[in-house]
Amino acid sequence: MIRAAAAVAAMAALFAFPEWASGIEGSRYAETIVRDMLVFAVYALSLDLLIGRAGMPSLGHAAFFGSGAYAAAIASSRFGTDELAVSLVAAIVVASILATAIGLLSVRASGIFFLMLTLAFAQMAFAVAFQWNDVTGGSNGFSGVRRPTLAGMDLSAPDTYYRTVVVAFALVVALVWWIARSHYGRALAGVRENERRMRALGYDTARIKLSVFVLAGALAAVAGALSAWSFRFVATSDVGLGRSVEGFVMVLIGGAGSILGPIIGAAAVLYIDRVLSSAVPYSQTVLGVVFIVFVLAARQGIVGLARAAAVRVRR
Amino acid sequence: MSPDLIVQQALNGISFGALLFILAAGLSLIFGMMDVVNLAHGAFYMLGAYVTLQVVRSTGEFWPALIVAPVALGLLGLALEPTLLRRLRGRHLDQVLLTIGVGLVIVDLIGLFWGREIRTLPLPPGLDRSIDIAGNAYPTYRLFVIVFAVALAAILTYVHRRTAVGALIRAGVDDAEMLSALGVDTDRLFAVTFAVGAGLAGLAGVIAAPAFALSPGMDVDALIYSLIVVVVGGLGTLGGAAVGAWLVGPADTFGKVLFPQFALALIFAIMAVVLLARPSGLFGRARIGR
Repeated sequence: MIRAAAAVAAMAALFAFPEWASGIEGSRYAETIVRDMLVFAVYALSLDLLIGRAGMPSLGHAAFFGSGAYAAAIASSRFGTDELAVSLVAAIVVASILATAIGLLSVRASGIFFLMLTLAFAQMAFAVAFQWNDVTGGSNGFSGVRRPTLAGMDLSAPDTYYRTVVVAFALVVALVWWIARSHYGRALAGVRENERRMRALGYDTARIKLSVFVLAGALAAVAGALSAWSFRFVATSDVGLGRSVEGFVMVLIGGAGSILGPIIGAAAVLYIDRVLSSAVPYSQTVLGVVFIVFVLAARQGIVGLARAAAVRVRR
Repeated sequence: MSPDLIVQQALNGISFGALLFILAAGLSLIFGMMDVVNLAHGAFYMLGAYVTLQVVRSTGEFWPALIVAPVALGLLGLALEPTLLRRLRGRHLDQVLLTIGVGLVIVDLIGLFWGREIRTLPLPPGLDRSIDIAGNAYPTYRLFVIVFAVALAAILTYVHRRTAVGALIRAGVDDAEMLSALGVDTDRLFAVTFAVGAGLAGLAGVIAAPAFALSPGMDVDALIYSLIVVVVGGLGTLGGAAVGAWLVGPADTFGKVLFPQFALALIFAIMAVVLLARPSGLFGRARIGR
């Protein structure tokens, strides 16, 4: 109850950010940073469905983020409409088809092999994006992406678009929260903890794994579409290994298998990528070292550390 | 395609396959022994190429790099294994994740030290010419790469099959726990294995440096190609790396000539077919699910 109230309050505060921050210097810049943190939080949350919830360490999630981004961008420039629903459905459909294909080939493997297969197949999507100039713009990227309209309402003004992202973020958080508590979410946890036992109990684990792979891909496509509209640009790097690694780093630094973890992780990585990188030339080294430290010493991420600290305080 | 072109492209493919073998051998060795896919392998390769750049700049000579880069990378591996990977012994997935972080740091530091623009190296003197093969001029450096890889394969096979170190490695790949129970210092063996794997990645970087441009992103290309090679050939065995490399190299080369738009898709298609037919790779041992 308290948690739900806190979540609603946080969402309201985020939604109203343009109002209450308008007097503060640099709030315009802060708004774009927060916006992109939320976009990437959606991406990290989608990836955590695989890593944290189902125990499927995918290193190819950028394939779905990127294909969603391209699909949304192409839909609005080719279909003659900027309607949000059209572009979003295009993004979700394209990423879901791709996720089904890659999932069919990789969900039978687990652990390191799953990681390698998803990595390699995602790189195939990168190769297509890189070489298919006519459709994706190749290495030049896809520029001039138009922000969408919603039932005739123009969402392109900075504050309006910011609020669109907040609403999308809130919906995805609610969805992930609901999934985690559903029977399906518990089945995912079962697959993560002991796949053989789940199979013995009569669960079709291959189907569960494929379904969550497609679901996570579809949500990543939402993040990709939001990113395309945020930057009004899609780059091949949105489909690349770097983007996949970034998602993994976000989930692990924040804390896998939770809702707050991927959000905090996305915010931390975006902070290092955007704010720190303008201050020092070695921000990626910082990111790498932070990641190494978390893998070595705090595998449960920031959320895990906070929980452990809270337990200690209560004692 | 004319017969001339086929001969030329076949040689190109074999030459590229030879490079892929050097690259994939280290990845496969580390996996075979430690059950760790070293995702910093591409970064090690990249570092090998940039060390070569440094050697050429400092001495004006290419050849010392063949010693300097593998040794430097070997020492790096020797330092990284005990300080980082060993702390996570038995947690293979976390070890793999750790190597992602190592790769991030190495690539970023390379950019800091050597800059992020694209660089090229001249071919080493003596190998910068072409010779006549079946009526066509063919660059000697590519032939050198083939000869070098074959010689390296012979040395590695000899060490693997005929020496005490090779026996330890074979035993470790088979059952590292049992080897440890028999009193072998597996900590040291793992460190040495990781060092040799890193050294081989560095060596591949040296060989590739005069033939390909040096740039950020070369680490990802190398990692992806070597992963495909070992997935096709089968992880953990030298033979698997060799077979995978000889298949993927020519396939990639001919793919680029025949369908320039979708060459990469072709080798992925090969990978997908192999995976569907033999999930552990052509020469792999049943390791799926580990």
